[in-house]
Amino acid sequence: MANTVIGSSIVIDGEISGDEDLVIQGTVKGKISLKESLYVEGSGVVEADIETQNVEIAGRVTGNIAATDKVELKSDCRVVGDIKSPRILIADGASFKGNVDMDVKDR
Amino acid sequence: MATAKELTHTGENTVIGQSILISGKLTGDEDLTVQGRVEGELTLTRTLIVEPSGVVKANVAVRNAIVSGVVVGNINATESVELTREGRMVGDIKAPRVIIVDGASFRGRVDMGEVEPGRLPVGDRPRIQPVRPQLRPGTTTPVRPPIPATPSGRIATPVAPPARPAVTTPARAPAPPPPPTRSEPKVEAKAPPPPAAPVMAAGAKKKVIIKKKR
Amino acid sequence: MATDQTGIIGKGIVIKGNLTGGGDLVIEGRVEGQIALKNHLTIEASGKVQADIRAEELTINGEASGNIDASTKVSISSSAKVAGDIKAPRVVIEDGAVFNGSVEMDVKLPDDI
Repeated sequence: MANTVIGSSIVIDGEISGDEDLVIQGTVKGKISLKESLYVEGSGVVEADIETQNVEIAGRVTGNIAATDKVELKSDCRVVGDIKSPRILIADGASFKGNVDMDVKDR
Repeated sequence: MATAKELTHTGENTVIGQSILISGKLTGDEDLTVQGRVEGELTLTRTLIVEPSGVVKANVAVRNAIVSGVVVGNINATESVELTREGRMVGDIKAPRVIIVDGASFRGRVDMGEVEPGRLPVGDRPRIQPVRPQLRPGTTTPVRPPIPATPSGRIATPVAPPARPAVTTPARAPAPPPPPTRSEPKVEAKAPPPPAAPVMAAGAKKKVIIKKKR
Repeated sequence: MATDQTGIIGKGIVIKGNLTGGGDLVIEGRVEGQIALKNHLTIEASGKVQADIRAEELTINGEASGNIDASTKVSISSSAKVAGDIKAPRVVIEDGAVFNGSVEMDVKLPDDI
């Protein structure tokens, strides 16, 4: 399976969309919409609204995140924005500011 | 977890996978491989590789570009652009080295820029080299000033050369004393004939050639 | 000129004017004007051509300036210096060649561009 990596020196200002995993080590501003998983590495900086299935964030994200499956904030990450996802994991050491919406429908 | 592994594999190279579409502005200091689609503007200090599945619809500024997929837009490369057998491109290429392999298809302009003197593809070229050594010792200054004055010079010069040899030989005999002082200002205005009669014919030719070069 | 013979314009030859013919032609000298050839034209490394060229196939090892229209292929080799616009279904530019001008080939692009 093709594996998309946005390297650490890369800056993208615009929209990214796709049906495969995306690894961000660089900078992305704008919008990201994926049907698979997004990994924001420690060096990654995202200033974008994110729509995806899974997100794992070790770097910095500013923007709203909507995941259909899971959002994982790793230690050392910095996230500012609202998160909407049925599963959310926030590790010790992660810094996060924003609202969490786990969209619990079945209650 | 999986991420870390993936990273060690591909850490130094950015890959835009087949299903990925990026639209907007992309800049970077590393190699970029496009298997998917990039639209907008793409600026790299390294190499862009467009794989057969890749589509780039963008204005591209890179060091090197290797196109095996599709590029629609202009490529400006500081080193080279290569269209491989599968490469298809519509747009203009500006690069000192451009390689188009048999099988590639391309529509657009190619600009290899200021080609170094020895390689100029102008037919008159060979004449320049023999002429130059003669000119430089004596008449370098008089000959050069007229060059900026292209508009009038261009039209005049082609007609002038045949007349000059005839004019200069008689003119030169009666009026050798005045030229040295007066000639230099005159030359800038329009009349190179008086200053250096023997070199004249050659000088005229050279001017024509230089203008073509520009 | 028989069609299957190869004509040669030798190194010392300068031709000014129109050049037309039905056979293959190799230019080692100079040609200024226009060239219309039914077959293969080769401009050797010593050849210098300032002309609009029409031919079936064109191979350039020397210098050419002018517009080129070939019905099959134009090859610009690494020693060539070419200025002008090229129209041909196949155009090959080797590394080291010097070319300034435009190239027009058929480019089949995906539908969604």
